[in-house]
Amino acid sequence: MMILAIDTSTRVSSVALVEDGRVVAELNQDTRLTHSERLMPQIKQLLDMAEKTSRDLTAIAVSIGPGSFTGLRIGMATAKTMAYALRIPIVGVPTLDALAWNCPLDGVHLVPMLDAQKGNVYTARYRFENGEMIVEESAVVRPFTEAVEQLRAFGEPCLVVGERQAIRDASILTGNVRQAPPHLFAPRAASVALYAEARLANGQADDVIELEPLYIRRAEAEVLWEKRHGKQA
Amino acid sequence: MEEQVKQRGKLILAIETSCDETSVALVEDGRKIRANIISSQVPLHRKYGGVVPEIASRKHIENVLPVLEECLTEAGVTLDDIDGIGVTYGPGLVGALLVGVSAAKALAFSLGVPLIGVHHLEGHIFANFLENEQLEPPFVALVVSGGHTALVHVKDYSTFELLGETRDDAVGEAFDKVARILGLPYPGGPEVERLAKEGDPDAIPFPKALCEKGSFEFSFSGLKSAVLNYHNSKKMKNEEINPADVAASFQSAALDVLVAKTMQAMEVCGVKQLVLAGGVAANTMLREKLTEAAAQKGIAFSYPNKILCTDNAAMIACRAHYLYEEGRFADLHLNGVPSLPLGKR
Repeated sequence: MMILAIDTSTRVSSVALVEDGRVVAELNQDTRLTHSERLMPQIKQLLDMAEKTSRDLTAIAVSIGPGSFTGLRIGMATAKTMAYALRIPIVGVPTLDALAWNCPLDGVHLVPMLDAQKGNVYTARYRFENGEMIVEESAVVRPFTEAVEQLRAFGEPCLVVGERQAIRDASILTGNVRQAPPHLFAPRAASVALYAEARLANGQADDVIELEPLYIRRAEAEVLWEKRHGKQA
Repeated sequence: MEEQVKQRGKLILAIETSCDETSVALVEDGRKIRANIISSQVPLHRKYGGVVPEIASRKHIENVLPVLEECLTEAGVTLDDIDGIGVTYGPGLVGALLVGVSAAKALAFSLGVPLIGVHHLEGHIFANFLENEQLEPPFVALVVSGGHTALVHVKDYSTFELLGETRDDAVGEAFDKVARILGLPYPGGPEVERLAKEGDPDAIPFPKALCEKGSFEFSFSGLKSAVLNYHNSKKMKNEEINPADVAASFQSAALDVLVAKTMQAMEVCGVKQLVLAGGVAANTMLREKLTEAAAQKGIAFSYPNKILCTDNAAMIACRAHYLYEEGRFADLHLNGVPSLPLGKR
């Protein structure tokens, strides 16, 4: 099993090649280039490094969101089209789940936070028991400070992972709520691949045509229109 | 054993997602359309009175693979038969463009075939090659759509001289805005044209902005404002407005400017072939006026059928074919460029 994984849900662009539980190669970039410019060359570079071609791939894994709308679409258009053209299975991995997989340890609660604009974060809470992921709170949008206050009241040790831009005030991440160190903090395609590998082992691939980004939020124009006209279209 | 020979010509698959249509097409040898699938989002954007970029982008990512699959099925080919991938990379809505560009790059890389970036307006001009098999450059193209109004001297398959474009609104945009003033639904172009048929084109003397003689620049914002002022002042005085007369007089003023400038351009460029391109090329009155003006001057005139006037991927594949012939390929860094200039390399 040779899985190519892609995560472009934040400003970090990450691609990884995972073969039977082994991370063969991974490339993470947090540079000024746009996802659109760097993603495909990055995939080519990754395969070249591993001395593989696209024909060696047996599955594609992709981070489906939440995250930057445009970033998600670039990652998903690339992943879906590659899976379709190469006729291999695709697995969509929720970005917050993949972030929790950055540190799948018992005894700590994993709290991913992604920028949801205007001081808000997309967040969720997980814990691991004997390597198995348990969703304690599923994805929501809430103000960053409120999210931290809730974790503070919760009292147990929490490790915050995710996106730099989501952390409005790092100085309040103290006590039981700590920010993960940089190498565990950001989205990593290796986490996406390992998560997908577990799902593929259970025969849980997604439909390449049907798989869509998990935006969580609707388009702003749609929300405004409903405010003005009521729900009926 | 005799070796099997490929019986068909060069097959280009192209993707177009620059605005509100998701389209995938297959064109053989640059001129023969094997399939041209267009999924329009117009009904989705109607209630907003125009294209909403985020909604358009969301629809493109949903549509791109189903449309690709339908295109392959209709043409009866598999991805392994394809020689190159063309894609619109500008101008257009950036989020929308990026869906097509990302999909095209992934296809080209996975299949190991060249990637070709295509300018959307060059695609519109090349729609004429699909319509008219005898057509060859040089010619002058009048490109008219919701986003563009331009006169282009097409000297050969790869040399385009932009003679002039609009300083403000595109002509299609003016049609949409006048439709809104008259309370007609989006998209306004066909609605204004329909209403204009019942009106008198000489009823209201709206200004014709010809700019300076010898300049091929257009301006339509003044005309749009004149329609708005007329409408408001009539309303204020409680006088009756005849919407059909407004539509007919506006349309006539807008189209007369296009025809006059185009004929001047034909003279200056000294060519005897004219083509029409872009969404507004579907306007019957514009076709008739240009046909008449061209006939008077002994100029050959052609225009694409209405499907090839709308945003479609067949025209992109046609343009990509000629770029392929010249070996002008894009690399995997290709990006969407929302305001890509025409004719620049």
